[in-house]
Amino acid sequence: MKDSLRHFSPQAHVPVDAPTGGLAPIGAPLLEARNIVKRYGSFVALDDMNFFIGRAEVVALLGDNGAGKSTLVKMMSGINPPTSGEIFVNGKRTELNSRAASERAGIETIYQDIALVDAMSITRNIFMGREITTRLGFLDLRRMEEVAVEILGSAVQISGIDNPRKEVGFLSGGQKQAVAIARAVYFKRNILLLDEPTSALSVRETEHLLGYVRELKSDGTSSVLVTHNLYHAYMVCDRFVVMSHGTKVFEAAKQDTSIEELTDHVIRT
Amino acid sequence: MSLSHAEHIRQAVAAHNARPIPVKLADWVRTSPEGGIAVLFMVVQIACIAGGLLFPDSFRYLLQANIAVTLKSIAPLGLMALGVGVLMIAGEYDLSVGALYSFLSIVAATVANSLNGDIGGDHPSWAAPFIGLALALVLGGLIGCVHSAITLRFNIPSFITTLGGMLLWKGATLLYHGASSLRFKPSEPFATIFGGEYGVIHASIVWFAIFAVAFYLLLHRHRLGNHFYAVGGNRNAAVAIGIKPNRTKTIAFAIAGFMAAFSGVVAATRVGSIQPGGGLGMELQAIAACVIGGAALTGGRGSILGVVLGTALVFTIQDILLLLRAPGFYFDMFVGTLIVVAVIMNTAIRRSRA
Repeated sequence: MKDSLRHFSPQAHVPVDAPTGGLAPIGAPLLEARNIVKRYGSFVALDDMNFFIGRAEVVALLGDNGAGKSTLVKMMSGINPPTSGEIFVNGKRTELNSRAASERAGIETIYQDIALVDAMSITRNIFMGREITTRLGFLDLRRMEEVAVEILGSAVQISGIDNPRKEVGFLSGGQKQAVAIARAVYFKRNILLLDEPTSALSVRETEHLLGYVRELKSDGTSSVLVTHNLYHAYMVCDRFVVMSHGTKVFEAAKQDTSIEELTDHVIRT
Repeated sequence: MSLSHAEHIRQAVAAHNARPIPVKLADWVRTSPEGGIAVLFMVVQIACIAGGLLFPDSFRYLLQANIAVTLKSIAPLGLMALGVGVLMIAGEYDLSVGALYSFLSIVAATVANSLNGDIGGDHPSWAAPFIGLALALVLGGLIGCVHSAITLRFNIPSFITTLGGMLLWKGATLLYHGASSLRFKPSEPFATIFGGEYGVIHASIVWFAIFAVAFYLLLHRHRLGNHFYAVGGNRNAAVAIGIKPNRTKTIAFAIAGFMAAFSGVVAATRVGSIQPGGGLGMELQAIAACVIGGAALTGGRGSILGVVLGTALVFTIQDILLLLRAPGFYFDMFVGTLIVVAVIMNTAIRRSRA
């Protein structure tokens, strides 16, 4: 609670030029997106969206289907660059126009449509695109497997997974989700984006995940949690941003709002 | 708590590694894409060896000459299938490899012959056939890149691009050389390197073995191989994780073109002449060998061992039919049936695992 008070004092409300209201960061945030617009032809997926992620905070991105949450996450992940707008990382203007650029900015993402390859083993999925290799590019499979065991054992405990060589295609939805989470957690940088991470998890696995998000925060890692489950969001998040039709319609720190008010804003929009 | 979970996984992995060999083999058959076909291959080989022993006069399977001919025949299709298999794993097809096999071997031969690379000429140039081969390989890779660029730039199925490519390169072969056969008797040491023989072992099968090992290392032990599986298995996942699918697929297309060229030149060296239409139909046999070996038509699944076994099984069947003096059309019928049986087996094995 102390963290959230430090970052979101009531005096810090609503910059004058903020079109949709909301909170302003104190000091330079880890990441700030200003006046972001994303168009697909005539369809506007993000409309003058302002968003920031502070240091060691957990932000909830809420809203109904089609609100633009996943588009915003994909924009920050570098796989869906904005049509216009500015992005600042640690106060410095940055182009997040590729996955590599996003990684360099310290962002790691867990996607709603789990980014795993069914025909590959758990280990190969965890290290996909970031393999541990020799200088000539040959895989250090032994090392990769050792690390995979550590990841699977320590990040998010996944029931039923006892062999990192198992093909991902034979895992349950929850197990796949957990592997994706384990991968993101291992490669975590400063910001972890979680797009509907608990949608396929069991109650126990969800508890583990949310606990882990809290642990990451205490280690100084910020997270953005995109979820339909307001209860989960309220459990772990310091700040809540409600989106509708591609823009921000409500924003509040945890101490300034309630789960009822959040529900009301999500439903009303 | 979390430490014990890691320890639990570690113990499970150790137990998995300590399984008795029969259990490991059974698990391999159940879990690997080539497991089913490996069993079928072994069964066919045992049956053939038994047949060869029981009826040595009427079924000469174990005759040295038969073994030598079969080993010689496998290599061209096997080399082509390696390239086609990598491309299929990356989620694309190349139907033009058969036409490229003819076209590029003719290019290599005409270049070699024009540079006095024919062994029958006066003071033949040792370098000429190598120059011809190098040019054919580079062209094969470049043509693969062109197929890739068209497929990915216009977002059309590679099946269509390379179907067009097949007809284009078939026509180009006739335009470039005409319909007559072309002599290709390269000078030494090229002839020995690519066409020499030692007992039943022909140079072409050695090249097939070398490339099979190299492709195994590339596909199963190298970062690029991991990316082939990723872009073929789930393109969106590969993009999300930062793999560049277009670059990866272009490399796979180039490999397929390269291997078609190499396969054509190796075959031409063995036979001593090139028929302009000689490669037509091989593209489907190469795809069949990959599918029989466990490669998925949807991409992301397959193995080099599967490609090798698939090719070997196709040629074993051809050999059996030849030894039984069956008419040629039986070969297509058997291979067709084998494709369907292999896919049914692989699907059944995967379902049983799930």
